[in-house]
Amino acid sequence: MVGLSLGEKHFIQGGIDQNLRSDGRKRDTYRPISVETGVIPQANGSARIRTGATEVIASVKAELGRPHALQPDKGKVSIFVDCSPVAEPMFEGRGGEELSTELSVALQRCLLGGKSGAGAGIDLSSLIVAEGKICWDLYIDGLVISSDGNLLDALGAAIKAALSNTGIPRVQVAAGASGDEQPEVDISDEEFMQFDTSGVPVIVTLTKVGRHYIIDATSEEESQMSSAVSVSINRKGHICGLSKRGSAGLDPSVISDMISVARHISEQLINKLDSEISAAEADEDEM
Amino acid sequence: MAAQGGAAPSTYTPTPTKKTQRSPFFSDSDVDWLRPDGRGFHQCRPACGFTFNLLGCCDLIVFTYAGMFSLSLLSSCAFFSVLYSYMKGFFRTGAVNSAAGSAYAEFGNTKVIVSVFGPRESKKAMVYSDVGRLNCNVSYTTFANPARGLGSDNKEFSSMLHKALEGAIMLETFPKTTVDVFALVLESGGSDLPVVISCASLALADAGIMMYDLVAGVSVSCLGRNLIIDPILEEESFQDGSMMITCMPSRYEVTQLTITGEWSTAKLNEAMQLCLDACSKLDKIMRACLEEAASASQD
Amino acid sequence: MGLPDASEDLSSEMEVDAFRRLFPLRYFERHLSESIRPDARPLGRARDTTLALGAVASAHGSALAKIGSTTMLAAIKMEVMTPSTESPDEGSIAIDFHMPPICSPIVRPGRPAEAAPVISKQLSDTISRQVKSFLCYPFLLNSGMINLKELSLVSGKAAWMAYLDIYCLDADGALFDAALLSAVAAFSHLQIPIVSLNDDGKIELISEEDDGAKLEVEPVNKEKRKLTLSSIPFSLTCILHKNYILADPTAEEESIMETAVTVVLDSSSRLVSFYKPGGPVLAHTSAVQDCVALTRQRVKELQNILDETLSGMEID
Repeated sequence: MVGLSLGEKHFIQGGIDQNLRSDGRKRDTYRPISVETGVIPQANGSARIRTGATEVIASVKAELGRPHALQPDKGKVSIFVDCSPVAEPMFEGRGGEELSTELSVALQRCLLGGKSGAGAGIDLSSLIVAEGKICWDLYIDGLVISSDGNLLDALGAAIKAALSNTGIPRVQVAAGASGDEQPEVDISDEEFMQFDTSGVPVIVTLTKVGRHYIIDATSEEESQMSSAVSVSINRKGHICGLSKRGSAGLDPSVISDMISVARHISEQLINKLDSEISAAEADEDEM
Repeated sequence: MAAQGGAAPSTYTPTPTKKTQRSPFFSDSDVDWLRPDGRGFHQCRPACGFTFNLLGCCDLIVFTYAGMFSLSLLSSCAFFSVLYSYMKGFFRTGAVNSAAGSAYAEFGNTKVIVSVFGPRESKKAMVYSDVGRLNCNVSYTTFANPARGLGSDNKEFSSMLHKALEGAIMLETFPKTTVDVFALVLESGGSDLPVVISCASLALADAGIMMYDLVAGVSVSCLGRNLIIDPILEEESFQDGSMMITCMPSRYEVTQLTITGEWSTAKLNEAMQLCLDACSKLDKIMRACLEEAASASQD
Repeated sequence: MGLPDASEDLSSEMEVDAFRRLFPLRYFERHLSESIRPDARPLGRARDTTLALGAVASAHGSALAKIGSTTMLAAIKMEVMTPSTESPDEGSIAIDFHMPPICSPIVRPGRPAEAAPVISKQLSDTISRQVKSFLCYPFLLNSGMINLKELSLVSGKAAWMAYLDIYCLDADGALFDAALLSAVAAFSHLQIPIVSLNDDGKIELISEEDDGAKLEVEPVNKEKRKLTLSSIPFSLTCILHKNYILADPTAEEESIMETAVTVVLDSSSRLVSFYKPGGPVLAHTSAVQDCVALTRQRVKELQNILDETLSGMEID
């Protein structure tokens, strides 16, 4: 990324102070989001999200596996983000590893909820086929193709879209298996089970530049941030996860304020995203 | 299935015959969980009764500080019950002689050693930078968890340690060089990361690295309707949500905040307030430990 | 060798610490000529040694050994394995020595220390080699420290695998001595848990609360048992420099004077191993005998310390 001169830095900060950012947006306006679902035919579900110059793809693949010994009535979900060198030359080889781990961990925190499963965006008990023996393993992969700031929000939206596009095949379990044996399964090709994504939260990242917070920062604005808070909020207005980034410390009252701003904004974002996703699915069905 | 010479046989840990289950919700009372070690919900762990000389010193120093907490998020009409909570934690600096600074912390069964090396020369591959660099690494021993693990580096904790500490260190005071902070978790008894962070900031202070303030970390678990501070391993495995705050108590600034699980705003604010109070008490204990070490070295 | 004249001139003007850094060899030789070392020890004396048992609650046996500043933490965890067909009633021991980055400035997270695998191999040779069967080592009589038959549970089906992990918490010379001492102490402290065989053929742990209730299965081993250790090995590392022999070196001494000799004797003063990996100084027979004599003394000290610590634990 090209470095910014002092004049450019002042310009960005001054604009934010006056509620007019470099691309004409207000502090609490999102860039237009475009959603495309079903971009990867071999995956069980996939979606591509574009906001401004940021472009990410999320795909969901489901495989049959054994549930964890300690939680025999829950399926397993693993989330992994890959920052492709296409986005930034510095992501090549091990360079993007740190950012990938950070994004993966933040997404896991937001979508998977507490250890007992409460507050999870994805209901893990719906992934069970035969308790203790067979469950669905969901592998959610995110790929960053172009990075212009606000990756976490885009990835969260992409995963939500991919999950609503996901169809898990119906499985018939042969009865009469006992003990440790794996029962016979018959995976149907016709019938699919759709995911209920009303519980999946969206992620809103608030970036603090100077004394104000902005939504959906571009990478130039992110370079000027003192700190950022990413809040994951679901439809009920409850917070499903929170991560703070950035080196500056934040006063607790500032954090509470950021959380309430995020909650206010998330309502609009959830509605907008849902309508975009259903529009995209309708398009896909037509094709 | 028999293992031949050269190949490591596959082994398993014998599991106990009775598995602990989470007790069902008591519908009448306000309490959803009984803490196995009998602590109140807002009490941190006492120091473990160790008599061995980890550091060659014979006495075990336990710092106590009594404070008042307000209890209960349960009822809409606020009923306050004043509860004296004792926070005892064992900290000792100067655990490792080969390091520039080091500290050992023990909270119940969680035992952590942190060493700080530096400021020393950055790796040649690194680009010139006019501020200092911080390099953190957290690793677990193979016997830290009840089931034997591989004992490798924990990358997630390493990056969280980095984020928690970088806001507190004055990086401009050591340009071109790197400060290495290495943590080893000897035994994991729940609430590992906050203990690692507090111990690391003590080790940095012991090494003489200039900082804005000490960093104290506390975590809170949400079990049903109750908020439990400083959870142990068993409580963490049943939790519905968790919050970890690390803050700089004198500046009243939060350097890192992570939340998992579902929280409503009221619960969130209450938990934050609880954590911040606990952090300020922990800070006093840490400062007392540093003062004690300084006066001991003067003698 | 440097310029003796230049350093002689400077030595009177320089401070002690600077001289120690710039001319370490001369600094030490000045001390050695007076038969003393910088930390005021006579040449043959080892540093203060302490032992503590039961440091780690989650392990079945553990010990912390400190020789001067060198600190080692050893922990043993028992797991169940299927024994091999050649020795169906023998368990097994796996020894691993780790030097985590906290112990010394030369160890970095991606780059393990050079000394670690060397010491790991030495330890497994000392503790496990003695335990190989009679057929491989016909000269070894019925074996060294640990009898693997004690680790068997159900002949042919289940046996204990003892994982011994030793972590160096502070590296200040004489790493092998401290590691061996902590390993030996951990084995002395080890308490094997009570287990029983359940219907699926798997071994399960019996927790203490079940004692009152009826047990469906007989426990396979009746009470928490301790291993019987015969011929416990102890060691001493010495440094050879010109005509001097320094026992129990610190890290500074080890880095300056590179010839180290490690002697391992067992409690009846029989030689278990003698290790001299090269080095600039060549040792005469007399030097070898002196090293062994020093080790013999040290073995008595260490035996006392171990006995005291064990009896201290039993009283608690």
